[in-house]
Amino acid sequence: MKLKSMLLGAIAGTVVFVSGQAMADTSGKTIALSNNYAGNSWRQAMLESWDKVASKAVEDGVVASADAFTTSENQATEQAAQIQNMILQGYDAIVLNAASPTAINGAVKEACDAGIIVVSFDGIVTEPCAWRIAVDFKQMGRDQVKYLADRYPEGGNLLEIRGLAGVFVDDEISAGIHEQVAKTNFEIVGSVHGDWAQDVAQKAVAGILPSLPEVKAIVTQGGDGYGAAQAFDAAGRPTPTIIMGNRQDELQWWKEQKTANGYETTSLSIAPGVSTLGFWVAQQILDGNEVPKDLTVPFLRVDQDTLEEILAETPAGSVANVEYSQEDAINLIKSAN
Amino acid sequence: MNMINKDNNMQPQKRSARDFLELVSGKPWIWAFLAAGATYLATLLVVTNSAGAGALLYAALTFASFSVIVGVGQMFVVTLGPGNVDLSIPATMTLAATLSLKFMATDGALIVPGVLIAIGVGLVCGLFNFSLILLLRIPPIIATLSSSFLFQSLAIWSNRGVRVKPPELLAQFSTGGIFGLPNVALIALLVSVLAWCVLEKTIAGRWVLATGQNKRAARLGGVPVNAVRFVVYVGCAVLAGVAGFVLASFSGGANLNMGTEYMLMSIAVVVIGGSSIAGGNSNVPGIWGAALFMFLIVSMLNSYGLGAGVRLMLTGLIIVSVVVLASKRRHQI
Repeated sequence: MKLKSMLLGAIAGTVVFVSGQAMADTSGKTIALSNNYAGNSWRQAMLESWDKVASKAVEDGVVASADAFTTSENQATEQAAQIQNMILQGYDAIVLNAASPTAINGAVKEACDAGIIVVSFDGIVTEPCAWRIAVDFKQMGRDQVKYLADRYPEGGNLLEIRGLAGVFVDDEISAGIHEQVAKTNFEIVGSVHGDWAQDVAQKAVAGILPSLPEVKAIVTQGGDGYGAAQAFDAAGRPTPTIIMGNRQDELQWWKEQKTANGYETTSLSIAPGVSTLGFWVAQQILDGNEVPKDLTVPFLRVDQDTLEEILAETPAGSVANVEYSQEDAINLIKSAN
Repeated sequence: MNMINKDNNMQPQKRSARDFLELVSGKPWIWAFLAAGATYLATLLVVTNSAGAGALLYAALTFASFSVIVGVGQMFVVTLGPGNVDLSIPATMTLAATLSLKFMATDGALIVPGVLIAIGVGLVCGLFNFSLILLLRIPPIIATLSSSFLFQSLAIWSNRGVRVKPPELLAQFSTGGIFGLPNVALIALLVSVLAWCVLEKTIAGRWVLATGQNKRAARLGGVPVNAVRFVVYVGCAVLAGVAGFVLASFSGGANLNMGTEYMLMSIAVVVIGGSSIAGGNSNVPGIWGAALFMFLIVSMLNSYGLGAGVRLMLTGLIIVSVVVLASKRRHQI
């Protein structure tokens, strides 16, 4: 009896302590989102998730304000100027999706020197004073080939659809794919740049298709799977196993194929809601919690079994998404510590 | 006797060679077609299956069509003379596609009003561009660049990046074909034949050329210069609207970044096609040659398995050589 009440008391005390800390320490704080680009469905979903989660947090009094700002030109210089404005406006924390990993380091350093917490996610910055919620893009490439190697241990021909030439993310995913392919019986027989857009991918694939032998599977970078399927369909060739990138039209197409002929594949990408993870991590740092500088974003993966469920939750024309909670952020920080 | 025979044998050869040279030097667009043909043949060297040759040509015609539609509009704008260029083409495409597909909401009965909306959006965008240029006297490059931010923002605001599918009937039409030709290529062919007639056969076409050669002289000569510029800018935006509509129907929906590559593409096909970048001297056939070439060059380099760096470098080098060849011929006349 005595022990039980002591335990309850301890728990109650902890709850009061924890929630009191979260309420008291950050309720007056202001957080800003600095975003470099808004011109595709992934970024739009990212901004919507931020808006949803951050405005709820403001309503609940967790933080005082959480405004989102997007630059118009996807230029590092413009984003550096934007960050300098944020310093002058006196935000307590800046959550950042950066146009370049290095080019805005100067502005980020200025923000740190002004006592501002800077948390970068997705497009991370290398400046040591900032926190990074990075995507393991190489792993994304490796996971695709691992899935295919399980399905087809005998190997076969692969077509690789890459992203935008010269961008860090494209190099990383591709490096992961090539690294893993070297350990399997697969051979990459063709490689095109799809610029992460359905119509560009469709055009590039249609152009290389006549010169390709039979293709067993297509490895992708997201936003290009549906276009590849269209190109194979238009050429009247059998559809290979296309790894998808969580776009609703890709998932929809997959489901149609699954119903019609039992088509099997997998789909993985980063949920646009990762912006909300950035928000909560910044809030945790402002709260005085010890947070390691380098964190890794979990992938959002859609499998044959979870397809219907996730497709039902994804708005038509958008991207499969999850919004992260304060608890998710705390767990992520714990697992990294 | 012998002499005469010799002469008789020589002359037709000589003439045909001279005719060919005249043809080549008189028509700067021939170089774009030669380049497209050469890249096509070079790609065929690595095409493995027998159906590949036809498939590659079919794909080239399909994807060249979008470049042709926007290229024709851009050609008229460029013809107006130095400093005239429409940089709002990608944003106009996106806005027209987004609004019309959203309106149709996959309902096949609304296709006709959907097309009209795409054209209407083009009209409004063109009017807006031209009012910036004429009323506010902003240089066209800056006017169209800044209005493109506006159009793009409207597209974002209207649909938040959600990709709306085209009606099934429209998707079938735009990905299908008749007489072995893709339907989109037929649309582009219609657009270019009309444009050719306007440019070569009508007084309005002469007015466009005259304005581009010397605006002041044209005005003094009685050409309604501002009316010409007005129609050209609005026409270009309408074609961009149509291209956006067709592209979105073809690729299964409107994307916010769908028009991006057509900013440079529309200018490239005009220049490679043998039209003068300084204006006043344009031709329509070259746009087809250039559009086919731009698709085939990427396919060729992809098929040869070259890396992105080499690919971009070779594309640049080849474009420069074609442009130099085309313009050199013109100077020699």
